[in-house]
Amino acid sequence: MAIIENETLALPSGDDPAVERPLGVFTRPRNQTGLKNWLTTVDHKKIGIMYGSAAMFFLLIGGLAALLIRIQLATPNNTFLSADAYNRIFTMHGTVMVFLVVMPIGAAFANYLMPLQVGARDVAFPRINAFSFWVFLAGGLMLNTSWFLGGGADGGWFNYAPNNGIIYSPSTGIDFWNMGLMIAGIGSLTGAVNLITTVLNMRAPGMTLMRMPVFVWMTLVTQFLLLFAIPVLTVAQVLLLMDRNFGASFFDVKLGADPLLWQHLFWIFGHPEVYLMILPAFGIVSEVIPAFARKPLFGYPFMVFSGIAIGFMGWGVWAHHMFVSGLGPLTVSGFAFATMFIAVPTGVKVLNWLATLWGGRLTLNTAMLFSIGLVTQFTIGGLSGVSHAIAPWDTQQTDTYYIVAHFHYVLFGGALFGFIAGFYFWWPKVFGYKLNEAHGKFNFWGMVLGFNLTFGPMHILGLQGMPRRMYAYDDAMGFNTWNMVATIGSFILAISTLWVLVNAFISYNRWKAAGRPDPGPDPWDARTLEWSVQSPTPEHNFDYTPVVTDLDDFWHRKFVEDENHRLKRVATGAELAQPGNAEGVHLPAPSYWPIVLAFSLPVIGYGVIFTLWLTIPGIVLMMVALFGWALEPADDPDVEGHHDGDDHEPEGSDGDDHELVGASS
Amino acid sequence: MAETTLETAVADGGLGHSSDHGDHPTETAYWQVFAILAVLTAVEVLWSYLPLDGVALVVPLLAMMVVKFVLVAGWFMHLKYDLSIINGNVFTILFSFGLVTAVLVYIVMIAAFDFQI
Amino acid sequence: MTDLADDPVDAAAEPDAMKEPQEVVAAEAGAHSEHPETSLGLSNMKLAMWLFLGSECLLFGALISTFLLSKARFLSELVVGNPDVIEGLLPAEQVQTMADAGVRGTLSDLPYIFQEMAEVGSVEPIFDIPFTSFSSFVLLMSSLCMVLAHKATVDGDYKNQRIWLGATALLGSIFVGGQIYEFTAFYREGLTFGGSLFGSAFYTLTGFHGIHVTGGILMLVSLLILSFRGKLRSDRAETVELVGLYWHFVDIVWVLIFTIVYLIP
Repeated sequence: MAIIENETLALPSGDDPAVERPLGVFTRPRNQTGLKNWLTTVDHKKIGIMYGSAAMFFLLIGGLAALLIRIQLATPNNTFLSADAYNRIFTMHGTVMVFLVVMPIGAAFANYLMPLQVGARDVAFPRINAFSFWVFLAGGLMLNTSWFLGGGADGGWFNYAPNNGIIYSPSTGIDFWNMGLMIAGIGSLTGAVNLITTVLNMRAPGMTLMRMPVFVWMTLVTQFLLLFAIPVLTVAQVLLLMDRNFGASFFDVKLGADPLLWQHLFWIFGHPEVYLMILPAFGIVSEVIPAFARKPLFGYPFMVFSGIAIGFMGWGVWAHHMFVSGLGPLTVSGFAFATMFIAVPTGVKVLNWLATLWGGRLTLNTAMLFSIGLVTQFTIGGLSGVSHAIAPWDTQQTDTYYIVAHFHYVLFGGALFGFIAGFYFWWPKVFGYKLNEAHGKFNFWGMVLGFNLTFGPMHILGLQGMPRRMYAYDDAMGFNTWNMVATIGSFILAISTLWVLVNAFISYNRWKAAGRPDPGPDPWDARTLEWSVQSPTPEHNFDYTPVVTDLDDFWHRKFVEDENHRLKRVATGAELAQPGNAEGVHLPAPSYWPIVLAFSLPVIGYGVIFTLWLTIPGIVLMMVALFGWALEPADDPDVEGHHDGDDHEPEGSDGDDHELVGASS
Repeated sequence: MAETTLETAVADGGLGHSSDHGDHPTETAYWQVFAILAVLTAVEVLWSYLPLDGVALVVPLLAMMVVKFVLVAGWFMHLKYDLSIINGNVFTILFSFGLVTAVLVYIVMIAAFDFQI
Repeated sequence: MTDLADDPVDAAAEPDAMKEPQEVVAAEAGAHSEHPETSLGLSNMKLAMWLFLGSECLLFGALISTFLLSKARFLSELVVGNPDVIEGLLPAEQVQTMADAGVRGTLSDLPYIFQEMAEVGSVEPIFDIPFTSFSSFVLLMSSLCMVLAHKATVDGDYKNQRIWLGATALLGSIFVGGQIYEFTAFYREGLTFGGSLFGSAFYTLTGFHGIHVTGGILMLVSLLILSFRGKLRSDRAETVELVGLYWHFVDIVWVLIFTIVYLIP
C-alpha cells in the first residue's frame, strides 16, 4: 500500500488540470534515471537487464548451495551437513538453478534482443512485460525466504508424491516451493504470451518468418513451450497445495490415489522445461558462431525446423523420466522410441554448427570459445542422454550420479556456456564496453577445467553405483577419490564462473579510465539488426523502422558478392548504423502498477501458508492494482505526442490477470 | 481503437468500425446457433437417461459435446470468420496448438495408467 | 500498444529515403486486414487472448484428466469396500465412535447415496442432472447475451449494449449461485472435499471453473461501469470482444465438464 500512497505524493506541482484524467489514474512516474525509474520502467531493455541481474543474484545462492553439497560429499561419512540440511540444500539448489537462474537468463536475452532483432520498438505489451519480471522476482524471493522461515523444500526439485505430502514433509519448505514457483510461473506465462505476440505481430516490414534470426526462432519455440508447459505444473502444484493446505486427498494412497499422477504431470511440464532451458542457448550460439566464422549459418532452414521439431517432440517423451516407476512394457517401449527420435533434430543442430565452423575464418575470442564449448560439452551430455533412451540401460543408471553428470553437461556445459557466450557477445551492445579478452580466456579455460573435473567423474561414480540425493557414503564403497576430484573441480568452477562478474567489473573500470571509448555500433562486424543501432542501445531502439529484404539483412547491406562469388565490403557497420538521435519518439509510459500487482501475490502466498487472514490485504492490494492498471491508459495523458483512443490494452490485461490470479489464489 | 485508421474510417463511412466486423454473423444467426446449442444440450441430457451403456451411450454424447464446442468457438468466438481474414487462420492455429497438445498429451497420460503394472 | 509501429511523431522523424519501401510493404500487408500496422494484420490483444486461451486448454485438460483418474480410482476402491475410502466419506465423530468400538467402516455405514454408487459402480447417483442441465442452459444463454452485447457495441447501440452486458453478468451470477447451492447439497450428502479422491477432484475441477466464471463476472461488471460512464463506445468494441472471447471459452469448458463429469457415468 505504501507505494500507492507514494503516488499521490508524487503529483508534480506543474500538473495541468486541463488534461482529462481517466478514473482513478495517478500521475505516471516520469523519472529517467534512478531507482524509481528502474522500478517503474516498461522498457524491454531495462527489463532484460533486470532479468539478468536477478538471475545472477540467484546464481550466487544456487552456486553457494552447490558448494555446500560438494563440501559435504568431499569425504566419506562427512558430518558437515545434517541429512535434513542436505535434503533442503540440494532441493533448493536444483529449484533455484532451474527456475531462477537458467530460465530468467533465457528471458533476459529474449527480452533485450528479440525486439531489436525483429526491428520493433518494444514488446507488444510493455507493462505486462514489466509485470512478468516483477512477478518472477517476487516468486523467486518468496521461495528463498523459506531459508529463514522454517527451512527450504526438501523433496528434490521434482518433489515426488507422496513424499511431498504433509506427512512426509511436515515443515513449510514445500509450501514455499509450491507458492513461490506458482507465482513465478504466472510471470513466465504472461511473458510467453507477450513475447509470442511480439515475434508474430511486431516484426519490421519485410521481416518474414524465414528471415528472422535463429535466436528469435528459438525464443518463439521456447515461449510456446512455456505457454503450454507452465499450466501443467500449475495444476500439479494446485493439487499439492490443496492436499497440503486444504486437506484434499489427491495423493493419499490410503484412499486409493495413484502418486504416479504427480510424476506424469510434473514431467509433462518437466520435459518441455528442459528444452526451453537449452533452446535460448542454442539460439545464442547460432548467432555467435556465424559472426566469428565469417560465414552465414549453415542450413538456416534446418536450424529453424529442427528447433520447431524439438519443441513438438519435447511433448512426447516425458515418461522417460519414469522408466523405473512401473509404467509397464508398452509405455516404456513407446517413450524409449520417442526419446531416441528426439536426438535427431538435436543432432542436426550440432552438425550444422560444425558445418558453419568448417572452412570459416575463425576468430577464437571468448564468445566464440564459449560457443564451441557449448557444442562440445552439450554433445557429451546429449550422448549420455541418448543412452538413457535405452530403457534397460536407464534402469541401471536411474537415481545415480550418472544422471547428475548427464543433466549438468546439458544444462551447465550447454545452457550456461551458451549464455556466457551471449554475455561476451552482446555486452558492448548492452553496456557500451567490451569485456576484457584476457580475463575472458581465463574465465573460459577455468570453467572448462572446473566443469569437467566436477561433472566428468560423476559419470564414473554413477556407473560405480553411487546414488543421487544421499547425504553421505561409506568409506569402503570406493567413491572417495572421484568425489574429492569433483569437489576440487567445483571450487575451480565456482571461481571461474564468478570471473564473468569480476571481468565485467575490471573491464568497466578500465573503460572508464580510458575515457569511455565508444565501442561502435557494430564491434564484431555481425549480421543482425541489433548491431545497426548505437551501443548502448538508445532508449527508443530505432530512429526509424528498418526495412528488411533478406535473411541477415544487416550483413547483406555491408557486403555484396562480386561476379566471382567473392564477398566485397561496400560499407562498414558504423556507416550504416542509425545515428540514434531521433527526438520526440513516442514511447510507452512507465507505470507503478506492474510492480504493485506483482508484489501483492506473495502476500497472498504467505497468507495461504501461515494464516488465511493475510490473504485479505493481499487480495485487496491485488484488486486495487488490477483496477489501477486497467483504468490507466497505455499512454500518459500528460506526455506530448499522446493520441487518444488506442489504450485498449487495459481491459484485456485485466482479464488475463484475473485469470492468473484465479489460478494462484 | 488503433485500427480506426484513415482507410478503414473512409471505408466505413466514418463510423469508426474496423473493416472485418461487417463479416460477423447477424443477430438472427446468433439466435439460431443458440437454438441449436440448447437443443443439443436437451438431446444430450435425454440421451444420458436412455437405457444404454458403453459405446452407444458415450460416443454420441462426446460427438454432441464436440459439435457444441465447434459451434461456440466458430460462431460466438468468431473463429469461422478467422478463415476469411487475409492473413488466414492465425487465431485458429494458435488455439489449436494448445487444444491438440492438451488432447494428445492427456490421452496418452490416461492411457499410460491403463498399461501400468 | 499498436501505436509503437506507426506513430505520427515517429513517421515525421523518418528520413525520406526510408519511406517508400515501408509504404509499399504496409500497403501489401494491410490491404484487407483490420490492423494494417502489425505484421499479421491482426490485433495484438486478440492474438494474446487466443494464446492465453490455448494455454488454458492445458490447464483444464490437466484438471479434467485428474478428475477422470481420481473418479476411476475412487469407484474401484469404493466397490471393493476399502474401509479407508468408506471412512473418508463418514463424519469424523462416527469414525471415532467406530474406532472406539474397535470396528472399521463398511459399505452399510455409508449414506444411502454412496451405497448406491458402490452398487452401480458409478458416481451418477449423486448428481442432480435436471438442476445441472438448467445451469448449463443458463451459461449457454449468457454466451448468447455476450455476443449480442458485442454486436450492440459494434452497432453503437448503447442501450442494448448495457442490457446484454447486464444480462450476461446476471446469468453468470445465477450459474455461480447454482454451483454454490450444488456444492452445499453435495456436502450435506456426505461428499467432503478431503474425504475422498472423488470429492477432491470434483470440487477442484468445478471450483476452478467457478473461479474463472467469477473473474469473468468481475470483468463484465467493469465493462458495465465503463459503459455507464460513456467510455465503452463502438471504437472500443474490441474490449468487449476480448472479454467475450474469455467468457465463451469458460462456457466451452463447461460444455466439456457437463458432458464428461456429469453425463458420462
